[in-house]
Amino acid sequence: MARLVQELNRLPGIGPKSAQRLAYYIIRLPDDDAYALADAVTSVKQNIVFCEECQNLTDASPCQVCSDPRRDQTIICVVEDPLDVLAMERTRTFRGLYHVLHGVISPINGIGPDQLKLKELFSRLERPEIVEMVVATNPTLEGEATAMYIRRHQGQEGLKVTHLARGLPVGGSLEYSDETTLTRAFQGRQEI
Amino acid sequence: MAPPRTYRCEAIILGYTPLGEADLLVTMYTWDQGKVIAVGKGARRSTSKLVGHLEPLTMVRMSMAHGRSMDIISQAEVVQSFSVLKEDLLTITKGLYLAELVDGFGAEESPNPELFRLMIDTLRAVEDNPESDMPLRFFEFHLLQVSGLMPELYHCVECREELEPDAHRFSPNVGGTLCLDCSPDDAHLRPLSLRALKVLRLLDRSEISKACKLSVDKSLADELRSLLSTTVGYWLGKEIRSNSFLDRLNNESLPGVYT
Repeated sequence: MARLVQELNRLPGIGPKSAQRLAYYIIRLPDDDAYALADAVTSVKQNIVFCEECQNLTDASPCQVCSDPRRDQTIICVVEDPLDVLAMERTRTFRGLYHVLHGVISPINGIGPDQLKLKELFSRLERPEIVEMVVATNPTLEGEATAMYIRRHQGQEGLKVTHLARGLPVGGSLEYSDETTLTRAFQGRQEI
Repeated sequence: MAPPRTYRCEAIILGYTPLGEADLLVTMYTWDQGKVIAVGKGARRSTSKLVGHLEPLTMVRMSMAHGRSMDIISQAEVVQSFSVLKEDLLTITKGLYLAELVDGFGAEESPNPELFRLMIDTLRAVEDNPESDMPLRFFEFHLLQVSGLMPELYHCVECREELEPDAHRFSPNVGGTLCLDCSPDDAHLRPLSLRALKVLRLLDRSEISKACKLSVDKSLADELRSLLSTTVGYWLGKEIRSNSFLDRLNNESLPGVYT
């Protein structure tokens, strides 16, 4: 019991009290449910690997997206996390390839370029068929810093480097927008 | 009478970490309460009224509510976004270095308006002097000063004799400069050139705008950076993590502006 609490306590956002609550919940689970949970944890550790191309998490490498011949092989969209790939796929507007960095440069937290999948990205960019890279890091300070680092260090002459548009979110409000967002929304205004 | 449930403050955002589904745990340094850690409810949602107002290195006017364990940010309005600083990777990293130091030296419920003012002034100086490291040196020196850790620069800390215009030695452990005749057994002892001592005295006596106009050669800049960041790190008692990335960028000679 103490070992289970200790292990749960190591999960992000789980304190000692939450760990105890979860441990008691697991004890009260029917046997099948508890074994299914344990099996899922074991299975994910045994079967999930990094895609050799895009570095996304996958059960087969290369992943489904990278091995799909219908995807546009000339454009790479760089995202922070695997969840960002899911968000982008939900839009059904992007038909190119991805590259997952697994984080952002965060000097305060001691995360530098070497902790991210940047070496793999720069290696992919050397392929002659790649004509555009869309940097889709979050529009946060650390996301922007990572985008600047990528822009600065990619060495491919003639590669088109873009980032996602900045501005007002759908359902947002001008009144509550900060000045940087509004400025960028003005800069990126479009004819209607 | 019960204390008011809400209060207003001006703060500089130092950083944040995700909390729960869509909240942020925001660390900020305020003018009148020192370091404050508060929750921005729903602040990670793109339609949140707080989004964009809680980015690090932003000066913000806040409305806060006292919570059971932590205060809640109810409103935030940007006072100064330091947008020029945020257009370049090197200046962003410099700003984050300042934020890490303020986070380390600042204490909760211990206001230090001079530290707040120093942070704001230095961020402006970094914007105005993006190529110079002198704003950082000014910040480090005055951070020690406003934290009550000002190093001695005019007399030997051992024999109390007035320092001659010559090379000396320096140790944060004994509180500043030592003459060559005094040699305590101190692992932190390091040489201090006369030129570096003069710059430190100038930092002591000058306004930030004047200090930032000072141009020094690379060897002197390296000596000052090593001396002051080591001294600040000594008092902080832990590694300054943003320093290694800052050093890495300083050693690169690539263009920095992202367009």
